[in-house]
Amino acid sequence: MANSKEEWQKYQEALRRGDKEAAAEYFRRYLEAKKAEGKGGGSRPTLVNLSTKAKDYPNAVPLEDIPRVIQEKPEFFELLRRMAGK
Amino acid sequence: MPATLALADFDLPTRSASGFLLRWIVPRLEPVHLYSFLARRLPFQLSAPQSDIIIGMGHGDENAFTGQNEALILEVGRYDPREVEGKIIKLLSCQAGVALGPDLIRNGAACFMGYTDDYVWVCDADLASRPWADEMAATSLMPVIDGLNALLDGKTAEEAFEIELEGYRRNAELEEDELIRACLEFNRGNAVLLGDGSARVRPRPGLALPFRILPPPPIILPIS
Repeated sequence: MANSKEEWQKYQEALRRGDKEAAAEYFRRYLEAKKAEGKGGGSRPTLVNLSTKAKDYPNAVPLEDIPRVIQEKPEFFELLRRMAGK
Repeated sequence: MPATLALADFDLPTRSASGFLLRWIVPRLEPVHLYSFLARRLPFQLSAPQSDIIIGMGHGDENAFTGQNEALILEVGRYDPREVEGKIIKLLSCQAGVALGPDLIRNGAACFMGYTDDYVWVCDADLASRPWADEMAATSLMPVIDGLNALLDGKTAEEAFEIELEGYRRNAELEEDELIRACLEFNRGNAVLLGDGSARVRPRPGLALPFRILPPPPIILPIS
């Protein structure tokens, strides 16, 4: 298994390519790698945002659910793409 | 002139963010605070005209800022300019900097600070009753608190804005977690200040010693 830093970079590259399936898989591997390295904080880390219900994605996504929501919610995938930067 | 503070608290993100405002900002401000079920249009209409600063935290989009259960508080073209005229307005909310912020300035607000995209952070859902104890959330939210405290100390909007941006930059430099760092850089890149950067408000007293030492009691209100 690659280390978490490498999995994160692959995740970011997949986001920039617009490859949903790859982004979901690399994010899942990133979480696994972090766990194997003993990293990660909090008992229930959750990605939250302050958008309204008009968006198609939840306001609170537990990190382990991010791969699923990436594939199910196009606007959430676009948010993560914007977060990945250019 | 008092402050108007509108804090939604009904789901995990609003609980997380309101926790930090309750811990560090509320004790510095005069009552009444529009917290939880009071974070709605009518109380805001009654409170805002007399205020010199409006601080809002709730869900939002390009055209609107909402309060409890996403009740509309401010929407482009649907408020009285007296509610915002001459005031410094800080909205911790998604995307309000796109259209609502400029509209507030056109209608006489002295200054607006907000964001042009989603405001995102990582929090620990198991700390919903003591959100101010969440170190992951603190990484993103304490820069907001530091900026607000600077405003309440009497610094200019521009100075307070730079303090918030510097907080994101400094925390991103120290943060090992890649997702949290991405959130910090995203929020920093989307923060905007519109209007008069030299605007300032009457300084408020600093946080009294008991409030600095003792956190609030756990929040027992349920969230969805």
